[in-house]
This record gives sequence, structure tokens and C-alpha cells, in this order.
Amino acid sequence: MSEWFEEIDAERKNVVCSRVRLTRNWDEYVFPSRLDDGKAAEMIRRLCEGMKDIDGLLGLKYDVVDLSQLGELELRILREHRVLNSSIIKKKAPMAMLLSEDESVSLVLNGADHIRIQVLRAGLHMADAWKMANEADDYVGSRFSYAFDEKYGYLTSFPTNVGTGLRAAAIVHLPSLSLGKKFPLLVSDMARFGVLIRGICGEGRENYGALYEISNQKTMGQSEQEIVDMVSRVAAQLDDQENQVREMAMKTHRLVREDELYKSYGVLKYARRLSMKEAMSYLSQIMAGTADGLIRFSRPVSVPRLILGIQTANLQNLSDKPLDKDELDAARAEYLREELPQLC
Amino acid sequence: MLCERCKIREANIQYTEVFNGVKTDHHFCAQCARELDFGQYSSIFEGEFPFAEFLSALLGGETPSKRQEKYQQIVCPTCGTTYDEFVKNSCFGCADCYGVFDVLIHDNIKHIQGSDHHKGKIPAGRQADGEDAQQTADPSETGEQSVRSRIQLLERQLKDALRKEEYETAAWCRDQIRALKEGKENDV
Ligand SMILES: [Zn+2]
Ligand SMILES: [Zn+2]
Repeated sequence: MSEWFEEIDAERKNVVCSRVRLTRNWDEYVFPSRLDDGKAAEMIRRLCEGMKDIDGLLGLKYDVVDLSQLGELELRILREHRVLNSSIIKKKAPMAMLLSEDESVSLVLNGADHIRIQVLRAGLHMADAWKMANEADDYVGSRFSYAFDEKYGYLTSFPTNVGTGLRAAAIVHLPSLSLGKKFPLLVSDMARFGVLIRGICGEGRENYGALYEISNQKTMGQSEQEIVDMVSRVAAQLDDQENQVREMAMKTHRLVREDELYKSYGVLKYARRLSMKEAMSYLSQIMAGTADGLIRFSRPVSVPRLILGIQTANLQNLSDKPLDKDELDAARAEYLREELPQLC
Repeated sequence: MLCERCKIREANIQYTEVFNGVKTDHHFCAQCARELDFGQYSSIFEGEFPFAEFLSALLGGETPSKRQEKYQQIVCPTCGTTYDEFVKNSCFGCADCYGVFDVLIHDNIKHIQGSDHHKGKIPAGRQADGEDAQQTADPSETGEQSVRSRIQLLERQLKDALRKEEYETAAWCRDQIRALKEGKENDV
């Protein structure tokens, strides 16, 4: 299970998590799009064989997961947990993954590239995540010779990853900032600095819950440290600005905020049917309210954990039969009724 | 800013389209961006390569047709990827593709990445040659360094030739560079 999610960053309460991903290829094989299934299986076998002693890397234990043997639902759960991305899920070729028990570290083998190293950390811990990914990269790189070019750096299937092969991302919660008139300006400002922002919307098509992912747009020409620092700085800045807006709102509209917050709690705690959109927007209220100390629960609550819990694949998984849309909404409400603690 | 398509939701996706050398900025909300048909890579909006799909447009759109015809026959000997396939999928088939298509994609990569040179980590065991040291010609340079500066000179000439669309000169430069590189490898 993804326990890495549980921790809350007391310093940066609006930053849900940090992720660092490194894209690597082994110079003995052509890239996955050109690799036939036989060769791909052979490569995966050799990679796993070469990393048999991986337990203990970053102080974690790892499982070998044969992704091509997993069912669609299991793959979708891994995607909801941010371990896999959707392009990997659709792929049919042999694929495997070395996954740490807490799901914080994963090495996907023969996805879009031969090896994709990913480290997830709760809160704003980009530097840490990079340090860990770098160590994992040293581990892999000491066993397999990477496709590397003096000029282009680490060679990847997509030229959008070439160079460092590094994508640093943070998920930030911006319920107040994103409502503001200045938000689009902020977004385009960030694009100027080479930082991309997009709403992450779970199953829905709109951005429910005001969660945004920011990440570096370019992977070449800047060192890993520079990229990581930049994304980290932007995340911190968004966190600060969100806090400023919320503090102002607290001064002028405290009652309105409290009212919205407690109504949200009431709906989540007692509703019999909740769509993804409803659930996400009320959970967004709870997340902000908890961060600002406006609401207290009888036991600690991790809103990111609840958000994972109400995703479609997870609810499907908890149920013993396939759910249609209405049944999903009912299952979502039931899940939240049980998981959301009492107030104190 | 509102999404330019639906004019309802906030635009939180911006992309720059380059067509026939003209740059246009677009602003869409996530929903419209996903609904718009950007070709076979529309999954990219939920994936991890937000700019890959625009690369095809970049590569295809910006390349003069004359040049494109000329290069359509280029095939990577290692993996069989053709230039056409590369333009269509924005995806390389193997590490050697970078070398094979280098002269064609160099400027595009520079455009997408804002740089054409890796900076940062180098795999252990791979020598970190000082990039700056290479550029200043040292009179007491070793044979290897002189080969390297010769290659650099040829690469500059090659780029120049391509810019002027002097393909015969370009081809000559390429052959020279390849010969020098192979010679270098054989010496090791
Ligand atoms: Zn729109
Ligand atoms: Zn190739």
C-alpha cells in the first residue's frame, strides 16, 4: 500500500507530494517501441537478474511485479497511486516493475523507456526525492551501461525527456488561489520559467478539488539540481501565495469559510451518494480547513489518503462486483462515511 | 485567462504551436485540451510528455517540403526507424537514432528544450570531458583533441550548410564527421 502518502508536511501544508522521475535506457537494446516481445522479455529477465540484490536500496524492500500479468483494475489502481502513468497501462508488450513495499520507489522496466526510476515523497521534499532517485540511478547505472551521449545526455524514446531524463513534479492544493483573477497570470508566468501547471482531475474532466501538478517543462540544458530547485521553488511560492489568500479570507470572511467547511464535513459524513466532483470539492474544503486549524478530528486524518480511497479503481476493487455509475457514487459515500473520523 | 475554446473555464494549459515558422500561443482549459484532437497522442494530457504531441507539428510543420523529401529516405540502420516515422510519432527507436537524425532534429530539439547540450549528471565511468576545454584550441593538444576540434569545426560547417540548404556540402561534412568518429573509435 502507498504509505508514503500518510505523512503531512507541516511546513508546506498545501504541497501534497513531490515526485522525481529519471528516464534511462540500456545501450544493449533498441528502445521499447522497436523492441520485439521476445527481446523485451529477455531484457526484463536480465535487468531483474542484475538487480537481484536490490533489497536494501534506500533502506527499502522490493517486489518484482510482472505488469503484463496484472489485470486492468490492478493497473488502474497503480495509476491512481501515481506509480504508473496511463501510457504504460495501455501498452501490451512485456513490462515489469520493481516496487518498494511502501510504493514510494519504483523502477518500471520496458515502459516507454527501458528503465523509469520514480521516487515519491509526501509534502515538499523535492531535494530528498532527487537524492533518492540519484542513488537508485547510481545503483542501476553501475550494473547496466546507459545509452548516453556527450551532447544529448541520457538518450530517451521521446526527445522531450532527453538530457537529464529528469521530471520533477509536485502536487499542490490551491483552492483559494485558483479562484482568483490573477491565477491565469500566475500560470503563464510559470510557463515563462519553464514550469508547467495542469489540473489533475482523477476520473473527471474538469479539475475537481483544486489539485494542480507542477513540473519542469524542459529536461536538457539545466542540471538536475537546477531543475529540482526550480520546481521546488515554484511549489513553495504557490504554497505561500495560497496561504496569503486564505489568511486574508480568514480575516474578512471567517464565518463564511467555517460554514462552507462544516457543511462540507456534514455532506461527506452523511451523504448516501457522492459523485467524484462533489466528493473532491468537499474534501478540498476539509484539506484546507485542516491545514488552517479550523476543524479538529477525533483522530488524525490524511485527506490525500481519502482522495486515493474514493478513486474509481479503488472503489471497484473494494467491491466484490463491478459497479455502475450510481453504485460507484453510493460506494464513494459509504467509504467516506466510514473513513472520515468524528469531530472533537 | 479564459479558455479560448469554451470561454467558460480557466485556461490552465498553454502551448506554443509553430507552423510554417509562425509561432502562435494557445490557451485551453484541461477539458478542451483533451477534447481537441491533437492526433493520436491526445492521451498525453494525462500522461507525462506534455509537449511530445506538438513536436510532430513542430517537426512536420517547420520543415520545408524540399528538405523533407530529401530526408524521407533516411533510415536508422540499427532499429529501422525512418524519418517519416519519427516525425509522425515523435519517438526515437534506439539510441543511434539521435546520431542518424541529428542534423535534422538538432534545431527542433533546441527549440523544444531551449538548449542543445546536456548539463548535469554523467554516468559513472564515462569521462567528463570539460566542454570548455575542448573549445579553446590548445597548440600542444594531443591527437585525440585535434580530432575532436576538427569534428566540431565540421559540425559547425554542417549546420551552416543545412541552414543554407546546401545539401551536398552537408552530406560531405556528415561523411567526414562519421569517418573521424569511427577512426577515433577504432583507435580505442
Ligand atoms: Zn475550454
Ligand atoms: Zn534507431
